[in-house]
Amino acid sequence: MTVTVNGKPREVVGRTVADLLAELGLEGQFALVERNGEPVERDAYTRFELREGDSLVVARPVAGG
Amino acid sequence: MHDPLTIAGREFRSRLITGTGKYDSFETMRDAAAASGCEMVTVAVRRVDFDAVEAGEDITSYLPNDVLLLPNTSGAETAEDAIRVARLARAGGLPDWIKLEVIPDERYLLPDPVETLRAAAALVEDGFTVLPYVMPDPMLQKKLEEVGCATVMPLAAPIGSGRGLKLVDAIRIMIEQAEVPLVVDAGLGAPSHAAAAMELGADAVLVNTAIACAEDPVAMARAFARAVEAGRDAFHAGLMPEEHEASPSSPLAGVVTRVP
Repeated sequence: MTVTVNGKPREVVGRTVADLLAELGLEGQFALVERNGEPVERDAYTRFELREGDSLVVARPVAGG
Repeated sequence: MHDPLTIAGREFRSRLITGTGKYDSFETMRDAAAASGCEMVTVAVRRVDFDAVEAGEDITSYLPNDVLLLPNTSGAETAEDAIRVARLARAGGLPDWIKLEVIPDERYLLPDPVETLRAAAALVEDGFTVLPYVMPDPMLQKKLEEVGCATVMPLAAPIGSGRGLKLVDAIRIMIEQAEVPLVVDAGLGAPSHAAAAMELGADAVLVNTAIACAEDPVAMARAFARAVEAGRDAFHAGLMPEEHEASPSSPLAGVVTRVP
């Protein structure tokens, strides 16, 4: 299916947020996810199912003051 | 002396909070954080850049588990922006503590008091422990305390400027009337600035650039740690009153060369 990740269209093979993160190379890393403007709980990544056309923000903690 | 800093019921032995920005490498950041003895570090939250050549490492893997991560809302220009970042951070597994900064001004990076107060009220309501970054403003401090903020964090001088306690008079009033811990955040450029803030009675200081941009960040982190401790000790010890005129430290009587 096609979703938007950080403003760009992207083909996703898997079905869940965890699948998407793995496909993005973020497996095992600290990733924060928002779907259609609503934050997704970390505990739900493995069961939270994506839908065609979803708009996702994938963020992470970075160095900052 | 057992003199912990208590924020929202959590005790910290160290009164130095550090930022993780501007270091040359995560290794240096990690070593400086360790040398500083800090128990709370700030992190920012940013979108992952999937077009970057390297994905970049996970900063959290460089920070020990017993150090509390304090996500900030940097980049937020409105209360809504800040609330969105805080909720994203918490949902994703970062602590529900948030360094609230709402900064629409790029030149001096001065925080918006109205939006900060609005965001603070909403975030406290939503269960966050809120540590707002503000201009030194005793009235705003009272309002932030009223809505339930865990600390109030006035700036000493603009972020990254290293100019020290430029707004000391307002900060002094805030310290005097503080109901929650007062953290001097931003603008401290030298350990002596941090010591001065602690001597005044600040409960803690937050330092980033002065450590990260020192020639030797690890040594500077250690210097700040000592300065904060010295300043705190001096605050407890009670500074002598300032006088305009001199007052001799040696006896005036019996001067050898003076005929009585």
